[in-house]
Amino acid sequence: MYRKFKVSYREDMALLQNRWQKSWLMILVLSLIIIPLFLGRYQLSILNEISIVLIGALGLNLLIGYTGQLSLAHGAFVAIGAYSSGLLTAKLALPFLISLPLSGLIAAGLGLIIGIPSLRLKGLYLALGTLAFGFLVQYIIQHWDLTQGDLGMAVKRITIGPWTIKSQLQYFYFLTSFAFLSVVVTNNFVRSKIGRSFIAIRDRDIAAEAMGIPIAKYKIIAFALSAFYAGIAGCLAAHFNRWIVPSSFGISLTISAIAVIIVGGLGTVLGTVLGAILITGIPHVIVFIADMLQDSYPALSGLMAEIKLGIFGLVIIVTMLFEPKGLVGIYQRIKVYWKTWPFKY
Amino acid sequence: METAVNILFSGFSMGAIYALVALGFVLIFKSTGILNFAQGELCMVGAYICYYFATELEVPYLLALASAIVLGCVMGALIDLLIFRKLVGEPVHATILVTVGLASILVSLTGLIWGHDTHSIKSPFIGKTVTINGMIFSQALLATIGVSIVLFFLFIVFFKRSLLGIALMGTAEDSDTAGLMGINVKKMRMLAWILGAFVASVAGIFLAEQSFVHTGMSHIGIKAMSAAILGGMQSISGVVVGGILVGLIESLAATFLTDLALGNFHFGDTKDVTAFVIMILVLMIRPHGIFGTKEVERV
Repeated sequence: MYRKFKVSYREDMALLQNRWQKSWLMILVLSLIIIPLFLGRYQLSILNEISIVLIGALGLNLLIGYTGQLSLAHGAFVAIGAYSSGLLTAKLALPFLISLPLSGLIAAGLGLIIGIPSLRLKGLYLALGTLAFGFLVQYIIQHWDLTQGDLGMAVKRITIGPWTIKSQLQYFYFLTSFAFLSVVVTNNFVRSKIGRSFIAIRDRDIAAEAMGIPIAKYKIIAFALSAFYAGIAGCLAAHFNRWIVPSSFGISLTISAIAVIIVGGLGTVLGTVLGAILITGIPHVIVFIADMLQDSYPALSGLMAEIKLGIFGLVIIVTMLFEPKGLVGIYQRIKVYWKTWPFKY
Repeated sequence: METAVNILFSGFSMGAIYALVALGFVLIFKSTGILNFAQGELCMVGAYICYYFATELEVPYLLALASAIVLGCVMGALIDLLIFRKLVGEPVHATILVTVGLASILVSLTGLIWGHDTHSIKSPFIGKTVTINGMIFSQALLATIGVSIVLFFLFIVFFKRSLLGIALMGTAEDSDTAGLMGINVKKMRMLAWILGAFVASVAGIFLAEQSFVHTGMSHIGIKAMSAAILGGMQSISGVVVGGILVGLIESLAATFLTDLALGNFHFGDTKDVTAFVIMILVLMIRPHGIFGTKEVERV
């Protein structure tokens, strides 16, 4: 195959390296615009769910996959985003366009506060601290009159100026553009100075500090940034489901977000996209199978919640044991195989 | 006076359970370097197996207890054999995430088999009390405290006097050197998992005596982690002190803070969060706990 040499830094740094990638991206964008027109409400709602999960998981991947800071409080930050936006639009009657960034910023502010103890804690101690923080946040939401505890809270529809988003198709275009935007932003971000510092801290924090990277600053940035993504995802999820209860933001949400980034591949944006599709898809596939087997095993659909969490756990363990690089690792192996075929390498 | 005795008593009995679960953490953590987030789930499974034998199959209580403990130990050995033997030397975050995954598998399997209702173990202690000086104590709580004291004594003897215990301590100290000295490190790691599952089953069964058997029981694991952190993740004495402190503070908070309201915030059942507040405070002030030593890291 004819290959052009890169002669400028600009070309070398480009997000899309060649014409092939550009044309594939065009095909992807066009299909994202056209295909939904032919899909039913149920399929669209699955795609919408994937978009929201993707945004949240990108934030977690920045923290765990890129910076190597193990946080088990992601569900809490999603909850903070969801409740902030729900309260801001309901009590203060703020428009959605203001409450969306605000909910992200509130979550990021709390992320800053969690980030400060992380300067002293490492590895498992950090995991424990963030886990405790997650339970505290859930406890506060449950016992505060403002958030109506376990009763749950109704959330308004998304209104932007004169438009109100009503149908699944409108939600699809809105949420997918957000997901697309965050993928592009993250992809650019991890190649920047800050992103490279994150990777250095993950690989060896003491060595990174010796090379002149201020670890304290970048760890806190990582926490705040991850919480910002989580807050945005929470806000979008709240306005999409239009009903929020504390129990939906517990440790199981954190586990499923971790499953997303592990299955996809830690520290890759492409992996997060693949993982979000797979992990969000699995429960729907099980529901589909359960519906088919309804006649022979009627009890199966009632056990969904059980099976779901167990399968996420199994997926995490199997990936960690047999394919630590996740789906991206498989993808790269296949790519190398076809590129070098018929030679081994 | 009576409230004070009650607080002390319930604090000690809860603290004994926390100490047992925390001992499981420390045993596994010291010898394998893995922080087992599924410890509470092991407790839950132990309690469910005991419930299955004692209540559903109506086996005599002691036999049910013994079979639950034996099956718990087998489960610990299997977990090591199937999963963690292959993960030796992996980075901390990988092993932690695997234990988190293991925890969710155990919860979902238990839910599939036994459902989400609350059950109670048919035991000789139900509803029985002892009266001392006009004060009433429940027999189940007394048995919890008694059995834990005996167990801790046995563990101390095991680690100080028996060859196997010393070999386990050696592996925990430095597994490479222990291997060169002729200790079978793989077997020792498995032994640590078996002992961890053993104390977890015992703790789970006694916890079920105090309340009920349900899937929410697995919370005990995360709460007991604050006991292990407070004690320093190093020694048996640290675990005991940490467990009893957490139990007492929780019992104090449950007596004085429950159902208070601060503005439009209701404290509700503070039992659920006291341990987490303690954990955050310890991690912020003294991450290596009361008896732990600071870790020094080299590049």
